[in-house]
Amino acid sequence: MSTQKLGRLEVTFDTGTINGVATTRLQMAGRIDDSAPLSSFIDNINTPAVIIDTDGVAFVNSIGVREWMRLLRGLAGKGCAVRLERIADVLITQMNMIPDVRGTATIASFHAQYVCGACGAEAAPLIDVAQHGAQLAAMQAPPMPCPECNAAMELGDYPERYLTLFKN
Amino acid sequence: MTGQRPRGRLVVAHPERKSQRALQKLVGATLCPVEVVADVDALINAVGEDAIAVVDASLARTRPEMLKAPAKAWIAVPGEGLAPAELAAVMGLLEAGWQHVVAHPMPILAEELLATVQKLLRADVFGLEKYVAWGAEVRSYVLADARDRESAVATLAQDVVAAGLPDRMGSLVSVIADELLANALFTAPMDGQGQRYRRTDPRDAARPLNGQDRVTIRWATDARYLAIEVRDLWGSLDPHKVSARLSRAGQITESETANSDGMGLPLAYACANQFVVNLCPGKLTEMIGLIDVRYKPTELGRAASFHSFFGAQPPTGVVL
Repeated sequence: MSTQKLGRLEVTFDTGTINGVATTRLQMAGRIDDSAPLSSFIDNINTPAVIIDTDGVAFVNSIGVREWMRLLRGLAGKGCAVRLERIADVLITQMNMIPDVRGTATIASFHAQYVCGACGAEAAPLIDVAQHGAQLAAMQAPPMPCPECNAAMELGDYPERYLTLFKN
Repeated sequence: MTGQRPRGRLVVAHPERKSQRALQKLVGATLCPVEVVADVDALINAVGEDAIAVVDASLARTRPEMLKAPAKAWIAVPGEGLAPAELAAVMGLLEAGWQHVVAHPMPILAEELLATVQKLLRADVFGLEKYVAWGAEVRSYVLADARDRESAVATLAQDVVAAGLPDRMGSLVSVIADELLANALFTAPMDGQGQRYRRTDPRDAARPLNGQDRVTIRWATDARYLAIEVRDLWGSLDPHKVSARLSRAGQITESETANSDGMGLPLAYACANQFVVNLCPGKLTEMIGLIDVRYKPTELGRAASFHSFFGAQPPTGVVL
């Protein structure tokens, strides 16, 4: 495992085997912006499978979105199967707005903004795509428990901002 | 007792009587004469260079070429009055060249429409103060160097969260501020040949911001709106190009981001509920992103409202 700092983004690399397939795991935390040339990673990744975890990403600007798209396109060009895990709220909304932000990657899970009708709390819980696949395909956000009062929270935004990617 | 002469007149075009009444009441607050019509032909007959047309978005979409008729301004408002405008309607109107598209239902419609109409009537367009209540504290930062963008954005986001607004707002504000500042620093500067010569500058390079390069960011909240305003002294933005760009925000491809105006302003627009461009050509560009902090996103329009205004002179206090 190694960690690389790209401007205000910290990226941890880990290589291993998952289900018999050599896999590189990239875990990102911080800001994807002008200071994070993500496409510089492409040449260093030589496994057929790549997992990118953006749980710790708090900010993406337009240059960051461009770098992200270049990274995914570069990996796809090398024939890598890319799986996105724990996609940050700030990225999943971009993926729903601009199809190239997702590219050909598969999505395992993502964060979404929820609000609690009972206590008013706001949170960004993790939605597992395999677990809620049928609901997501119907553009319905699964209810999630409120971290403060345990009541059922609902999606705090229009479903298309988060779920268009999964639409049947 | 002598009365003041009205500053102009308004024409409201809407097919439904109930919405006509609501809109008439709203713009009637300007104390200007208001004429109400029900269809496009009557509207085109009624407008003129002294009139502001307030048009139901559905009507506006049936004959977008109505914009060619002389009028002081054309403002599209949500079709059903109490329902937000559909995303496709907002995008279609921006694509057709509309420079005032209100996306949100009542009561936001009332606030936004009155501010828009008064800015036009009074020819007083600059400043975020038009959108927040009197008494709201306005914070201002002047960037001394192009590299101050990051610290200005971070400070702003911290201030917003410290003001009691949720982290989600801090995140939205960061994107809006960052993109508007990047636009002011790297896209606005233009040489005598019309070339945007800072566009390809390294974003992390030091550059003192003196003279025409000065950039200011201000923000305020009144618990209704959170307003972020960025000013540059170039006045080089073309609002029509901006609205056209926003209309196809969702269709941007990776290759376009590398060699065109990019996705910065569409991204800022996507984070805002109202996006305003105020321009004094050659002297000042002011962009304002407004986030509604009262309502859930699902109670607002699916797209942000857009407005662009021209001002003859920069506001008092702006040193050129």
